[in-house]
Amino acid sequence: MNGAGGWAVWALLLLLAWTLPGKVWRPASIPDFPVQGLFAFLVPLLALLLLAPLFALRGGRGLARSRLLSALEAPPPLLWAIALLVLWPAAWGPPGLPGGGLAFLACALPMEVRWLAQALPVEQPFPAAWGAAAQARSRRGALAALLPRWLAARLPVWIMSTLVLERVLGVQGLGSDWMARVGARDQFGLALWVAALAALWALARDRAGR
Amino acid sequence: MLVLLPALLLPEAPLDPFRGGLPPGWAHPLGTDDLGRDALLRLLLGTARSLGFATACALGALALALLLALGGPRLRGARSALASAPPLLWLLPLAAATGGLGWLPLGLLIAGLLALHLEPPLRANLQPVLRSPAWSAGQVMGASALQRLRSWTPHFAARAALLLPSAWIGALWAEATLSAIGLGPGPEQDSLGRLLHEQLPRLATDPAPLGWAALAVVLALAWGSAPAQESP
Repeated sequence: MNGAGGWAVWALLLLLAWTLPGKVWRPASIPDFPVQGLFAFLVPLLALLLLAPLFALRGGRGLARSRLLSALEAPPPLLWAIALLVLWPAAWGPPGLPGGGLAFLACALPMEVRWLAQALPVEQPFPAAWGAAAQARSRRGALAALLPRWLAARLPVWIMSTLVLERVLGVQGLGSDWMARVGARDQFGLALWVAALAALWALARDRAGR
Repeated sequence: MLVLLPALLLPEAPLDPFRGGLPPGWAHPLGTDDLGRDALLRLLLGTARSLGFATACALGALALALLLALGGPRLRGARSALASAPPLLWLLPLAAATGGLGWLPLGLLIAGLLALHLEPPLRANLQPVLRSPAWSAGQVMGASALQRLRSWTPHFAARAALLLPSAWIGALWAEATLSAIGLGPGPEQDSLGRLLHEQLPRLATDPAPLGWAALAVVLALAWGSAPAQESP
């Protein structure tokens, strides 16, 4: 019954995407899918997928209480984009997608390390008492089990971060494609986006064992 | 935080077109903008309005979250579907489709979307109370739901208040982000996000004291709101 309620919400959102309110104030052509932006997003995403579990593996559950992570996690994507704009040397030209990727990594990595560290199982008294090797094996197992649900649950957050970064940095990428389709009233493209978000929700739910 | 609410009613900084573009000095510590408004006054009014708006949204979100948490697991699937994406992912296309959101609809939407994210931790906070013998005793003694709610409201409010800082900062960033990328409330009322939207293009090229000051305030708020964590 609970799942049915969720699917009903996604059906309503699909309907909203097909009948989006408002009118375009000037004719706008439907944008092409930003393939280049997708590749530019994949590079920092792969770095994030590699680095976040690695830090969580090294630091364990204690990282969730780290003051440094907390301070790095506090600024939202908007502030990272502004910091990049201000600090980027003018001689290098506009930050563009590589700069956006860097800001994305700076913004998402602390958040994700904490997410993973918080989700790790308690290690006291066991497996900590069995030694470092057992502890590392336990962390590896927990992270491997978490990975699919982590991806499904956090991808919408990463898409939102790239959207804000791209809007501030003035580049067309994966996140801003969602907004570009709203601007052009591309019902089909928006419906695909809503369907993708629904699929991620379903994956995160199933993996949670609900 | 409640003292910030009246900031929503503050007037705008007065225009003085003949004193536009003045550099920082004794009379105007951050200079004046092109319309002759004192930059420091604009910063103070914009900050106060943003903080007041975030407080109003956070209180609304907590009240809604409390109702949802006390209402039990009804429509859990629908709630989890809406909460599966961050509030901004829904707010940005809505604002773009409607040509920008005014203060009231934006506040209501932020409160509603934040409530969905606040409800699970609030429900977990309330569980010890709802499972306690004292709560069940009222039911056994024949007290109506309204009577029990009335006597337990201070306790529920105290539990909900624990989540106020995270609700507050969520609302603050939602408004600031929407305004900074030009999709927030109109230009008739300043806010921190609107100041950033206006000053951002100038930060890297001009001295732009107002832009830097707005950025410093936003950074201070970001780090001031970071949850205090104990070292392991």
